[in-house]
Amino acid sequence: MSATSPTDGQAAGPCPTKGRQPPRSPAQGGAERSAQDLLIQLQGVCKGYPEGGGVRLVLEDLDLAIRRGESVAVIGPSGSGKSTLLNLIGAMEAPDRGALRFDGMDLARLDETARTLFRRRHLGFIFQQLNLVPTLTVLENLLLPLELNGALDRDGRRHARALLERVGLQGREGTFPEHLSGGERQRVAVARALVHGPGLLLADEPTGSLDRETARTVLGLFNELRRERGMTALIATHASEVAAAADRVVALQGGRLDEVSAA
Amino acid sequence: MILARAGWRHHLRHPWQAALAILGVALGVAVVVAVELANASSERAFTRSAEALTGQATHRITAGTAGVEESLYTRLRHAGIRPSTPVVEGHVTGPDGPLRVLGIDPWAESGVREAVAGAARAVDAALWLDRDDLVVLFRDDARRLGVTEGDPLAVEVAGREHRLEVAAVVEAPDRLTAEGLRDTVVVDVATAQELLDRLGRLDRIDLVIPEGAAGAVRLARVQELLPDGAVIGEAQEGAAALDEMTAAFRLNLTAFSLLALLVGALLIYNAISFSVVQRRALIGRLRALGVGRGRLFRAVVTEGVVLGIAGTLAGLPLGYLLADGLLELVTRTITDLYFVHNVREVALAPTALFMAAALGVVAAALAAAAPAWEAASVAPRTALDRATLEGRARRWVRPLAGGGLLLGAAGVGLLWGGSGGLVVGFGGVFALLVGAALLVPWAVGGLADALAGPAGWLLGAPGRMAARGVAAGLSRSGVAAVALVVAVTAVIGVTVMIDSFRGSLATWLDSTLSADVYVSAPSQTGEPPPELPPQLHERLAEVEGVESVATSRQLRVPSEFGEIQLRAFDHGPVGDAGMAYKERGPAAWDRFERGEGAYITEPFAAHHNLEVGDRVAIRTPAGERHLPVLAVVHDYTTSQGAVFVARGFYDEHWQDDAVDGLAVHAGAGIDTDALIAALREATGDEAGVLTFRSDAEIRRLSLEVFDRTFAVTRVLQLLATIVAAVGVFGALLALALERSGEVAVLRALGLTPAQVWTLELARTGLLGAFAGVLAIVPGLALALALTDVINQRAFGWSLQFQVDPAVLAQAVALATVAALLAGLYPAYRAARVPPGEAMREDG
Repeated sequence: MSATSPTDGQAAGPCPTKGRQPPRSPAQGGAERSAQDLLIQLQGVCKGYPEGGGVRLVLEDLDLAIRRGESVAVIGPSGSGKSTLLNLIGAMEAPDRGALRFDGMDLARLDETARTLFRRRHLGFIFQQLNLVPTLTVLENLLLPLELNGALDRDGRRHARALLERVGLQGREGTFPEHLSGGERQRVAVARALVHGPGLLLADEPTGSLDRETARTVLGLFNELRRERGMTALIATHASEVAAAADRVVALQGGRLDEVSAA
Repeated sequence: MILARAGWRHHLRHPWQAALAILGVALGVAVVVAVELANASSERAFTRSAEALTGQATHRITAGTAGVEESLYTRLRHAGIRPSTPVVEGHVTGPDGPLRVLGIDPWAESGVREAVAGAARAVDAALWLDRDDLVVLFRDDARRLGVTEGDPLAVEVAGREHRLEVAAVVEAPDRLTAEGLRDTVVVDVATAQELLDRLGRLDRIDLVIPEGAAGAVRLARVQELLPDGAVIGEAQEGAAALDEMTAAFRLNLTAFSLLALLVGALLIYNAISFSVVQRRALIGRLRALGVGRGRLFRAVVTEGVVLGIAGTLAGLPLGYLLADGLLELVTRTITDLYFVHNVREVALAPTALFMAAALGVVAAALAAAAPAWEAASVAPRTALDRATLEGRARRWVRPLAGGGLLLGAAGVGLLWGGSGGLVVGFGGVFALLVGAALLVPWAVGGLADALAGPAGWLLGAPGRMAARGVAAGLSRSGVAAVALVVAVTAVIGVTVMIDSFRGSLATWLDSTLSADVYVSAPSQTGEPPPELPPQLHERLAEVEGVESVATSRQLRVPSEFGEIQLRAFDHGPVGDAGMAYKERGPAAWDRFERGEGAYITEPFAAHHNLEVGDRVAIRTPAGERHLPVLAVVHDYTTSQGAVFVARGFYDEHWQDDAVDGLAVHAGAGIDTDALIAALREATGDEAGVLTFRSDAEIRRLSLEVFDRTFAVTRVLQLLATIVAAVGVFGALLALALERSGEVAVLRALGLTPAQVWTLELARTGLLGAFAGVLAIVPGLALALALTDVINQRAFGWSLQFQVDPAVLAQAVALATVAALLAGLYPAYRAARVPPGEAMREDG
C-alpha cells in the first residue's frame, strides 16, 4: 500500500487546523485497553465540507478506540456526522486532519487503490438502502466479495450457500433482489457483509427501512453471526433496540463523541 | 405554480440532462429540417426556373435533339401564329460554373417571356443584327461574375473557348423571376446556334395559344404546318418531363428524411421521456401529497413542450446550416445524373420548417405524455419503486415484439406480395424498419440474459453485471437502443444496396466496355453529346494498330412515350460484343443490324412495361415507325432508359450522318497509351477539344460518378448514426447518474475505479454490439428490399444482391464504437463516484 495522503496534523480538506487536544477518556473506552487489543483508533480526527463559501465542520477533534470483537453503536441526531464517521473508518473518505488507524495501519496515508483494497479485504458493509446489486442474483451478491478477493473457489461457494441457509434464504439463490422483501434483502446484505470474513463490519441504519418485527429478526441474525465469528462492528443507528444490543454506545453531537454506555 | 417550480428546479439542478434533452430535440429537428430544406430548395429552384423559362407560353413545338428546322418558325409567323418565339437553349461553362444560354428572337419575346423581352430590349436592335457575340446578363449574375456592360465574358463549350461581350445588365422584374433566371444569359438565336453548334435548327418554338374555339383553330393550323418528326405539346410538358425524371431521386431523398424523422423522433422521445422517468419517484411523492393525476400530467407535459420548443428553436438554425452542405450534394447528384442543376442558396421553405418544428414540439409532448401518464396513473407507492417501472416496462416487451413481427410481415407483404408502386414499396420498407425496431427491446433483453453467463466467465462479476445491466435498464436505454438499431439497420441496408449497385455497374462496365479507346467531345449532363468532326471515324480507322472503329449517335426523339433517348450504333465487325442481354428474341442481333427492330434498355422496359415482341412507336423525320422490341439489355447510363437502333436504320430515317461517339478496337498487343497518342496525332487540330479515354479510364470515371451520386446517401446515413449515438450518450449518461448509488455500493465493496470503468464500458459496448448484431437481419432485409423492389420500381434496374461480410462486421463495429464513444464520459463519471455516497444520508 502506498502512502500519499496527509500525515497527522496536516490539513488536507476544509477542516481548519487546530492545536492538538488531549484525548478524552469516555470515547477512548478506558485506559486499560492495550494497543494490541485495539482494532480501530481515531485521534483528533477532523472532517468538514465546503458549504456556501465557508466550511461546515461535521467531525471535530474526534477520538475513538474500538477493540477487536467489540460492537459499538453510534447514535446521534440527523446531520450529527454518523455516516461521515462510517465513511472515514470505511476508508471511503480521508480525514482532513488527525490520525485514523486500523489494526495499526494509518488509513489516512493510503491512496485510492490502497483504500479500495483495504475495503475489499477487511470490511463488510450493510447499508440501509441500495444494499444489493440489482443485476446480480442473491447468490451472486454473496459471491461478489469472494470474487473480488480471489477466493471464489469451491469452498467459497459452499461457505456462501451455508451462510444463505443461516439467514434463511436457501432456495432463493437464483432470485434477483427486486423479487425479495425488505427483510429478505437485509438478510442477504448481512450474509454478504460476513461472507469473506472481514475484520470489521460497518452498518449504517441496518434496520432503518424495516418494520419492527423484521428489524428484530435481522438484528438478531446480525448479532448472532457476528458473535459466532468474533467480528468487530460499528453501527450507526437511530434505533434504540439496535443500540441496546451493542457492547458499547457512543453519541455524536455537534461533531464530538461522548460515551453513553459500556458493556 | 409551485409544481412548475419543482419541475424547473429539477432541470436547474441537472443542467446536463436538460441540455441533453434540448440537444436531442435540436438534432432530431435539425436533420429533418436539413433534408426537407435541401429537397425543397432544389425543387423550388427547378420550378422557378421552369416557370421563368416557360413564361406565358402555352404550347411548344419540339423535334427531339435534332431540333426543329428554322424555316418552320418563319412559316408559322407567315401563317399569323403569334405570339410565337424560337428558342435555342443549352449550357456552357462560365467563369464560376455552368451558365444556361437562352437564345431567343429579341423581337418576338414580348407576350411570351416579358422578363426576357425586357432584357432583349436593353440592347439596341441594330447591335443584335450586327453582332454575334452579345449577351445580356441579369443583375445578380453580373454582380457574382464581377462583370458589367462592355466587359468580355469567356465561356467554354465542348472544350472550346468563346469570347462574348456583355451588352447589357438588366434587373429582373421581380424576385421570383430573378430566382428563375439565375445563371441564365440571354443571347440572340443566331449567337446561341453558333455557340451550341446547332446551325439552322431550333430546340423549340414556344407558342401562346388562347383557350376556346379560336385556340383550337389555331392549334389545328399549327398541326398542318408541322413536318414529320416535329410534335406540338403543352408548354408545361417539358418541365413535367424533367420533374418526372428526378421524381424517383427526390422520393428517395424524402424517404431518407423520413428515416431521419424516425430516428429524430426516437431521440426526442428518449431525451424527454428520460427526464420524466427520472422523476418518477418525485411524481410518486407529489401524488402521495395529494396532487391530482390530471394536474401532474399537465405539468409534466408542459415541461416537455417547453423543452421541445427550446430544442426546436436551436434545431431550426442548425438544420439550415446542415441544409446548405446537403444542398450542394443534392445539386451535384442531379447534375451528375439528370441535367445541369444549379442551386446557390437554401430556400426557407415554410412547410419544411413548420413540419420540423411541429415534429420537435409534438414529439416532445408525446414523449413526455407517455411516461407522465404511466407515473401519474399508478399508486403513489408504486411510483416510488424503480423495480415496478422496470417490471412494467418488461411486461410491454413481448406484446411490442409481437406487434413488430406482424408489422414486419406486413412490410414483407407490401414489398414482395404485389406490384404496388414506389410509395407502396417505401411503405413496406418503413413497416419493416418499425417492425424491427419494436422487436429490439425483447431481443436485447434475451441477448443480455443469454450472454450474462459467458460475460461473467470472461470478466467475472462486472461482466455479468454489465450484461444484466443492459436488460435491467431497458426502461431508460431501450429507446436509445432502438434508435441505434434503426440507424445501423439503415447503414447495413443502404451500404449493401450501394455495394450491390456498384458491383452490378462494375460487372456491366466490364462486359460492355469491349473497345480499347473511346472518343467523344465534352458536354454537359442531360444535353446531347456534341458532334465529332466529319469523317473522323474513317481517319481513325486508318491509324496503325486500329482494328475497327464503332460509331454511335445519341439524341432525344419524340415517341409514343414522349421524348425518349435514342442511340444509333454501328458496331462493325465486333457485332453485339458489348451488349449485356437481359432477354432477347430469336436472331436478335441480325434483325437489329438489318433495321428490323430495336433494342431497349432494362429501365425503359420497366417504365413502359415492355418486353421482347412488343412495339415502340418512334416519330422520325420520315414518319412514325413502329419498331418491334428485339431484346432487352442491361444499361446503367440513364434511369429513364433508352432505345437502341442500328446505324443504317437511323441514317435512313433521320438523314443524319453525324457521329458523337467512337469506340476504337485495337489489334492484339497494342499499347493503349501509344494508341491514344497515335489517335490524337491522326485527329490533328481537333484533338485538343476531344477526349480520348481508355476503357479502364471510362470504368474509373463511371465508378467515380457513381460514388459521388451516393455521397448524399452516405451523409444522411452518417447523420442518422450521429443522432442515434447522441441518443445513446444521453441515455447512458443519465443511467450512470441514476446508478451512482449502485456504483457507490460496488466501490464500497472493493471495486476499483478501473473495474467500474470496465463494468460501465462493458455495459455500453454490449448495448452497442447488441444493436449492431440485431441490425444485421433487418439490415439485410432492407438491402434486399432496396435492391430488389425499390430500385426496380424507381429506376427499373435489376441489381445483383451482393453481401460483403466485412460490411456486416463494420456495422457491428460501428454500433459498438458509437456506443463506446457515447459511454466514455458516463463511465468516467461512474468511476469517479465516491464510495461514501453509498451511505444514504449523513445521519
